[in-house]
Amino acid sequence: MNKFIRVDMTTKKVEIQEVPEKYVGLGGRGLTSNFVNDEVKPTCHPLGKNNKIIFAPGMLSGTSAPNSGRISVGSKSPLTGTIKESNAGGTFSQKMAKMGIKALVIEGMPAEDEFYILKITMDGVTIEEAPKEILGGCGNYKAIELLNNKYGEKVGIALAGPAGEHRLPTANISFKDPDSNMRSAGRGGLGAVLGSKKVKALVIDDTGAPGVPIAEPEKFREASKVFAKALLDHPVSGQALAAYGTDVLVNILNEAGGLPAINFTKGRIDWNENIAGETLNATIKERGGEGKVSHGCHAGCVIRCSQWYPDKQGKLITSGFEYETIWGLGADAGIKDLDDIAYIDRAMDDIGIDSIETAVAVATAMEGGLLPWGDGKAVLEAVKEVAIPTPLGRLIGSGTTVVGKACGLFRVPVVKDQGIPAYDPRPIKGIGLTYATTTMGADHTAGYCISGNILKVGGNIDPLKKDGQIEYARAMQIGTAAVDSTGMCLFVYFGIADNPAGYQALIDMINAQYGINLTANDVDELGKSVLKVERAFNKAAGFTNAHDRLPEFFEYEPCPPHNEVWDFTPEEIDEVYNF
Amino acid sequence: MEKKTVEIRGFMQLREYFRRKNWPVPLILDLEEAISGYELAEKLEIPAEEVEVIFVNGFVQALDYRIQPGDRIAFLPPGCPGPYRIALGFYGKNQDNQANFLIHKKKENEQG
Ligand code: SF4
Repeated sequence: MNKFIRVDMTTKKVEIQEVPEKYVGLGGRGLTSNFVNDEVKPTCHPLGKNNKIIFAPGMLSGTSAPNSGRISVGSKSPLTGTIKESNAGGTFSQKMAKMGIKALVIEGMPAEDEFYILKITMDGVTIEEAPKEILGGCGNYKAIELLNNKYGEKVGIALAGPAGEHRLPTANISFKDPDSNMRSAGRGGLGAVLGSKKVKALVIDDTGAPGVPIAEPEKFREASKVFAKALLDHPVSGQALAAYGTDVLVNILNEAGGLPAINFTKGRIDWNENIAGETLNATIKERGGEGKVSHGCHAGCVIRCSQWYPDKQGKLITSGFEYETIWGLGADAGIKDLDDIAYIDRAMDDIGIDSIETAVAVATAMEGGLLPWGDGKAVLEAVKEVAIPTPLGRLIGSGTTVVGKACGLFRVPVVKDQGIPAYDPRPIKGIGLTYATTTMGADHTAGYCISGNILKVGGNIDPLKKDGQIEYARAMQIGTAAVDSTGMCLFVYFGIADNPAGYQALIDMINAQYGINLTANDVDELGKSVLKVERAFNKAAGFTNAHDRLPEFFEYEPCPPHNEVWDFTPEEIDEVYNF
Repeated sequence: MEKKTVEIRGFMQLREYFRRKNWPVPLILDLEEAISGYELAEKLEIPAEEVEVIFVNGFVQALDYRIQPGDRIAFLPPGCPGPYRIALGFYGKNQDNQANFLIHKKKENEQG
């Protein structure tokens, strides 16, 4: 990958440069975070002209490596004010990589109130006026259809929805998937950054792309085979995720007493059967029609955790129906009907808002009396108002912190202004340390990856005890930062965590592609360096250790059924980043 | 007075198993005295390799854990994704059982 593209929206100039030396060995999150730290003024306003946004495929994207088609987007976040990397599936990453594009940066902002489309082909990038029909409240489903008609079915698309046009901090960037549905770079409001730069969409056409060169093809094929086998042989990545999706976690977390419910006032519900992955699976099978129990968000995914959820007549309601969304609306906001949740999920995709932030904001709004508890129909209407946006729509679209303030609440589940996802930190303490310390604001995917050294530190963790948790949270975050740089879906880690050969195969693929000799230790060092760079940016932006804390209510409100509180001291929390 | 029953759930494919057996969720079973997870699984004809860990009153336990009358139990097949496997303590509890990283051949008939 040898092209580094810069698009200046102030001057409308496009520059295609050689990849700067420093970024040659980087990809995905490693590249986006280094770039943001190097070039974005840490104290800039995220929606002002000095912020920049960068799109980068992972190191293995565009190759035949299973699950390697994730795209990373980096910027300063309008939601948290921190550095942000958000990644997604879809077809964009593989096309970029095959065209030899290491990264695409958008900087500056136009003076005029016009939206544009960036069209990326082998000939370069052109800046075109956005067609009027896709602006001003046009939903993402429709917009993708119109863009497909205009540019061809095969193009890849990255899109700011109506929420992005309105620069709301929950706005995501939607990436077209192989079936013209959407996958989202959800968290942190990066859609608002795109909107602020007046870029409605990026359209990528890889006709004539040379493909990704592989230094040692034979070795690559071998490693790729071992890797795919490790994924398919493992009960998590080979079976459970395909059958039940990530929603398999509802029953498990509920049983563990760590499923945050009714705005984090308890850890277990009695309507879990309504919303559990097992029910999701049975309902899809029973309804048939367009329903699909498993589906991949990009070509080459062998785990296929996504699915198509149909209505009673068998017509698709929503795809990629994730645990965090179902948890947020189903348990935290108390909506007991899976169909209601599915329609809200569709609306969120259509408007282009993060389904986690929105769901947590909705539950907070319920506590604040803005919406009735558990009322799926009312939530659907409120969410649709984000596209207009009405004052209520703007409130919800501004995320949990803003809703909490507007309602005068103290129980506002956020870290660095980002809503806390689906795992209660009181009975599952290791997760709490990650929420508190990650560079991204409360983020469950920041500590996802299970590498060999975690099995050493994490073998005997008791969820209610402090022992081993600091080492666990640290190792998880380091490993995750490394995987996020490869372009791999984090879920590959379920498959290779218990299988050292699978982990080695991942490293072997990178080595074979680039003709290098990374060791497991180097990969660990890469993860550490990414976290250090991100933390340096946050520090320069004004963040201190005092921001690495969970909301205070976790310290004095016990979470039933285990009735635990959050009891890590500030000194203990600060140890996580002592490396 | 102490309850002489246990409350039982099954997740993933075991939820389907409950459905096929026409069992309610949860299944309430009379239990006079403590038994191990293995014995309870056997009583219910749940194959041990289908169970990675059990939940007992909201805590992850190994299959040889002694279950008391009054307990709330759930059987969990191998397949829980995520860091939660570690965070909830699976790795300390699944070491000695058959389901532990049993490298299953893909069972087509259990797929969707
Ligand atoms: S496992 Fe799920 S999220 Fe990961 S690449 Fe496949 S479909 Fe996408």
